[in-house]
Amino acid sequence: MAGGGGASPSCAAVAGWTVAAVLLQVAGLCMFLYGFFPVKPTLPGFSGAASYRMPSCGPAGGGEEPALPPDQLRSLYRELSEVPPVYDRLVLMVIDGLPAEFILGRGGKPPSKEMMESMPYTQSLLAGCEAVGYHAKAAPPTVTMPRLKAMVSGAIGGFLDVAFNFNTQAFLDDNLLDQLHMIGYNLVMLGDETWIKLFPKLFWRQDGVSSFYVKDTVEVDFNVSRHLEFEFAAKDWNVLILHYLGLDHVGHTGGRQSVLMPPKLKEMDDVIRRVHNSVSGLEDNSGRTLLVVVSDHGMTEGGNHGGSSYEETDSLALFIGHSVQSSYCSPYDQNEALQVDLAPTLALLLGTPIPKNNIGVVLPELFNSLTDEQKLRTLELNSLQFLRLLQAQLPAFCLEDCINAKYGLGIDKYPESIEKKLCHLLSKAFDLHHPSHLHQRSNFKSTEAGYNRTAVDAYCEFLRYASEWLSHRATNKSFYLLVSAISLMIVSCLCLMGIVSCLHKGKSLSQFERHSEWSSDNHWHLDEVFIIMGIFLYVGSLGSSSFVEEEQYTWHYLTSTLYLIFLIKTTQSMLRESNSAVAQTEGKIFHGNNCSYVTRCKLIPRKRDGYKVCTIVIVLVSGRILRAWHQGGVNWVHFPDISKSLAQADSSVVKALQIISVLAVVVLYSASLLLLRPRKMNILAVWLSHFVCGILVVLHICQSQINTSLPTKHSTTSIAQIFYVIVSISLTFTFVASPWIFPIHSMEAEQTSSGSNPETAIRVQGINHSMFLTGLTYAAFWCLLQLLLQQPINAIPLLLIFLQTIFSIIHFSLDKSLHKKWVQIVAMQLLGLSGHFGLGNTNNLASIDVAGAFIGISSYSTVLSGILMFIITYGSPLLLYLGMVVYASVISSDDIPTPHQLKWSCILDKMITLPCLLPLLINSIALTSYTIVLLLMRNHLFVWSVFSPKYLYVCAATVCTYAGVFILAMTAVYTCTVFSYRTINYRNKSI
Amino acid sequence: MGEEAKQVSASSAAVAHAVCFAGLAAAHYFSGRGALVSDPAHALRLLVVFEAPPVILVFSLLRRDPKRCSFLKAAARGLLGLPIGAFLNAFGAIVLGAPIGIKYWAATTYWSLLMSLFTFVPAACVFGASKVNWQIVLSHSTYCRPTDAVDYMISAPAHGAVIGAWLGAWPMPLDWERPWQFSMYFYSERKEDGDY
Repeated sequence: MAGGGGASPSCAAVAGWTVAAVLLQVAGLCMFLYGFFPVKPTLPGFSGAASYRMPSCGPAGGGEEPALPPDQLRSLYRELSEVPPVYDRLVLMVIDGLPAEFILGRGGKPPSKEMMESMPYTQSLLAGCEAVGYHAKAAPPTVTMPRLKAMVSGAIGGFLDVAFNFNTQAFLDDNLLDQLHMIGYNLVMLGDETWIKLFPKLFWRQDGVSSFYVKDTVEVDFNVSRHLEFEFAAKDWNVLILHYLGLDHVGHTGGRQSVLMPPKLKEMDDVIRRVHNSVSGLEDNSGRTLLVVVSDHGMTEGGNHGGSSYEETDSLALFIGHSVQSSYCSPYDQNEALQVDLAPTLALLLGTPIPKNNIGVVLPELFNSLTDEQKLRTLELNSLQFLRLLQAQLPAFCLEDCINAKYGLGIDKYPESIEKKLCHLLSKAFDLHHPSHLHQRSNFKSTEAGYNRTAVDAYCEFLRYASEWLSHRATNKSFYLLVSAISLMIVSCLCLMGIVSCLHKGKSLSQFERHSEWSSDNHWHLDEVFIIMGIFLYVGSLGSSSFVEEEQYTWHYLTSTLYLIFLIKTTQSMLRESNSAVAQTEGKIFHGNNCSYVTRCKLIPRKRDGYKVCTIVIVLVSGRILRAWHQGGVNWVHFPDISKSLAQADSSVVKALQIISVLAVVVLYSASLLLLRPRKMNILAVWLSHFVCGILVVLHICQSQINTSLPTKHSTTSIAQIFYVIVSISLTFTFVASPWIFPIHSMEAEQTSSGSNPETAIRVQGINHSMFLTGLTYAAFWCLLQLLLQQPINAIPLLLIFLQTIFSIIHFSLDKSLHKKWVQIVAMQLLGLSGHFGLGNTNNLASIDVAGAFIGISSYSTVLSGILMFIITYGSPLLLYLGMVVYASVISSDDIPTPHQLKWSCILDKMITLPCLLPLLINSIALTSYTIVLLLMRNHLFVWSVFSPKYLYVCAATVCTYAGVFILAMTAVYTCTVFSYRTINYRNKSI
Repeated sequence: MGEEAKQVSASSAAVAHAVCFAGLAAAHYFSGRGALVSDPAHALRLLVVFEAPPVILVFSLLRRDPKRCSFLKAAARGLLGLPIGAFLNAFGAIVLGAPIGIKYWAATTYWSLLMSLFTFVPAACVFGASKVNWQIVLSHSTYCRPTDAVDYMISAPAHGAVIGAWLGAWPMPLDWERPWQFSMYFYSERKEDGDY
């Protein structure tokens, strides 16, 4: 990818090695991802009649059963199960993102008064013991699609399901809905279209709504409720699924405490009342319909979800039907269950086999209308299904062996191995259930009731234990694959290091030849030592979950320390210069014509020093404000910070800040364009388009309202679309045209030919000008794009990052010999990383801004919104990579080209080799070390909640680095190619 | 410079540092144990009050070029340097993440005054506005080549104080729930005490 190659290794060699290293890294990363986030081993096929019998030992020969017509199948199941179905109809109402706390309270306490009053009907059902509610703990990742899968199949999916959340594919595993379909039930689905994507051909009737317009909190729910009347009149369904998205959208836009929350809860309560009343009226033989109200996940205080905090995993399972009614109940006890428990419970209540890969446990409280014997049978069926799953996981596991091995009633001591423990628990439960296996039944008649209870307890103990073991088992990894993937990454990292050190050696040699003064001193400077040390510190900090959760502090600390060191160095050099100024003649230290755009106006040394210090101070102060803007990462989100206080302030303040940022970006861009000497019409055109874009962003800001229930207006969408079009046209135009508009020869220069080769000097200057224009245009448009997409609160942080970029570049260009080139590049990358966290990103998936990813998209598209989401999340690092284009143009203009440096390859090398290689190297170090950390932490308690989400971020950062480096390399290569072509043409013409 | 270096003997250097240290010890004695953690503003104020006179006194006596510059002038330079140094230190601390707010400003002010006493004031007393000397003290070259003992006396403690304060700013996002973290917490408290 990198073009370079100058003195020591050849241009092609460097590029080749870099590409090889990158490819190796990609291969290693893919292997690791495949190995670490395995596609869960599942049992193929669907449960059938065989699931009601005891499995035989040995390999489970899947005896294919003849496909029966639905009616026969239903009666066959009824016969085999020995438990009559409790219900004929099911209404499954999914309220997306509803925390159980809102309805059931927390820690044994009822919910707040406001919540109670918002849902009067539901609360009256609970109080009247007509409903039973559970805190159904959802497994992370708490996003909709994996949770729906878990509910209907009872299996916990792999971690990477999150990645597929926006790209739903049909669900092929055994699940409740397919089972119901097979016994001839008619299914109707209204609501979130995720269901339709999961089950494309299953539903009798369906009306999907998109979950992707997060700001719409009204229409989505109205589109579900409007069908209710019709459905309850039609009565031709057996299963009705209602998926309400509005509450989740309310959360995303305003958090738990949003003003829209109580009305939304009231609306949901009304739906529950309507459904319950119609269902009761619907009965031919009363009480055969079960109403289940569930939520797929909870939400954090800020309304996001995805992680594994209590607030996010605390989802609801509320059952309303005749079998749960009892004379006594205490609805606000902390009734814990797992979300996966829903699948076996509903399967048995409706008379279907339990899905094959289920790891949930039947909830016995729901079978109150059955006899004790039938209740035991439900637990037995659940255990048999577990037994099959266990046999698939542990090939040697066999019940008959267990029973023969005499883990009978007498032995209470728990054996060591998991296998034996499972064996023991299971055989104990079966023994208690069927005492005839061991003894004569007659002996036990008298104590049957007592035995029932102990048998229930024994079954539950087995089921809970096995469930827990199986859920951990879902994350089984092949160690060798992971180790070989890591070794690939290490090789790639070493390769990059080798290239950089080769270049460094070559460079310092050539520098030594040219400069004799203090700029070539060979020993390490404080900032260089600090960067090396900082990388080690960072790598070390990755091993601690707390540091990963609060990574923003590490980056801020490293960045501000580095800039403080710059400040000290600048002060030192100021003192030194003023000391040596007495002895030496002026002009020695800065050559007459090495001025770049920024330093074109001749500065007197004192003023220059002042500017040098000022730029660093600005960078430091902006960094500090950025840190104060979003405090706290994952654990300490509650810390007070500027963004939280602004969120409580009037929305006009936020809007004003947004508009100020837009204006500042436009002004900064115009000011820097003025520095370009040949002012042409083309530049004016680009500036105009930028100005128009700025106006569009301001319009968009004014039109969009924060925290409203109104669906996204059409006008805002079209404004955003016009914006995208203008941005892409002007960027393409700048990229293509900028190398053509700067002169390759100049009359002036030929007349006053003072340098060794004025024409080439002009040409180099032309390249630099063109790169400067392109890079600046990239960065300025990128800022406007971010201002359009980011949350309103992030406008000022974005401006601050832009300021940091500009002032760093100015500082580096004011005195190019003060800091080594690689230090400058690393400093810019550090700015990008600390800015990433300054924009409120954390290492938690919940902080990804989903709402922004749909700005300006009129029809749902996975790819487009995915790209927008990436742009929003990695806005800051990418801005710094775009700034690197400007930087590349500035640093390569540092001295008069010697004849040796006139070759194109040399110019290219100077411009982009280091800016391309160093980000790749640093990212590679971070990626490789974090991969090793993840491998070491694979059994850590927080591996799924802290380390794995962070790994996804690291992977995305790798993609971001590739993208940034690619843009930089492409721009430079294209510019140089055009200039060389033009030079050749010019020569031919003049000859 | 050579003859000035001879003026400071090892014993007088030791005495100078002992006097400064006595100021610290007295302040610690009066503030009470653990006061730096329980009531940092008060403890830091005491430290500043007790430390400022000895530092200014000692380093004004050690001033460079005593013939042209009176003791009083050196002391005045030190007093002037105190707020300037405090400002610079406060800037560094805030940039590295020291909290800003009405609640904290007293502690921050006293802390930066104290840091100024360790870093800026001695140099201000001894050198005044001499740029050459400041440059030598700022750079780490003091340790590489044979230099003046006073330079060394100024720069080594100052560098130590800055590095100590910088290390203190290292983020510690632990949740203090594990035993080893808890014990480390106490250890770091004690270390902090020692730093001052």
